[in-house]
Amino acid sequence: MKLSKSKKDTNLPQVPMEPLVDCVFLLLIFFMISNILKIPPPFRVELPESKARSEFERKRYSVYIHATGQISIDDQRMENLDQMLNYLLLKKKEIEVLIIRADKDAEHGFVVDVMEKAKQAEIDNLALAVSEDDYKGM
Amino acid sequence: MHAHTQEEQRVTERSDRRAPNVDMTPMIDCVFLLIIFFMLATTFAPLPGIRVKLPPPGAPSKEKPKGLILRISNPVGGDDSGVMILNNEIVSLDNAFGVFMNTPAEEKEMLIIQSGRQVIHDQIIQVMDRAKRAGVLKIGFAMVQ
Repeated sequence: MKLSKSKKDTNLPQVPMEPLVDCVFLLLIFFMISNILKIPPPFRVELPESKARSEFERKRYSVYIHATGQISIDDQRMENLDQMLNYLLLKKKEIEVLIIRADKDAEHGFVVDVMEKAKQAEIDNLALAVSEDDYKGM
Repeated sequence: MHAHTQEEQRVTERSDRRAPNVDMTPMIDCVFLLIIFFMLATTFAPLPGIRVKLPPPGAPSKEKPKGLILRISNPVGGDDSGVMILNNEIVSLDNAFGVFMNTPAEEKEMLIIQSGRQVIHDQIIQVMDRAKRAGVLKIGFAMVQ
């Protein structure tokens, strides 16, 4: 009697691991999302439509070009092309493919200027984003 | 309720039965999990785009580049697209695909889009779309003032 009681007392308290694992998974998912979650640009960009398209991973740092020529990298507004170049030089190690989301009414000359700056920052792989909607034209 | 007599109790037996205690916690867990799942699914959806590879650094080659040259003028007046000229012929977005398809394969290696600065981005993308679908391998941009 006595023996069995003392034996039971020395048993380690059972620590339930399941809630801990649940929490860890949830945190993992949370940080995964928060890292890649769409960061809204400071202005609306209407992408052109195209049937010929490749697919790219959603990553941070895409360049948004407004129809009026404003630029922004994610939600960071860029005052001019030189500021953008400096930003790209800082972040170029993290950028594999630079996605350019240019408004369909943006000036082509300006888009090419942005591409030139990307090249100066030694980012050679670019992508011109097109609309995610199904192609309606010819 | 406790004041009911036996008879009354028998009559109201149905309503007396305790409502089953629905445990909401697993449902809420499931709902949150679904929300997270759909948030993830939308952010992981691939982004459509047209691949652009910039030429290696260095001065542009002196050789006259081979391939098709498509010239696009700046849009004038109220027009939203510029006039496109390929091989001294005016082409439109509607027939560009056919024109690209009919060019011999060796010429389709490269297309140079020579355009004014004010040409809108959409027109360029539409031209690239037609050219890519017609099998043009490389597309280059050139600016004219």
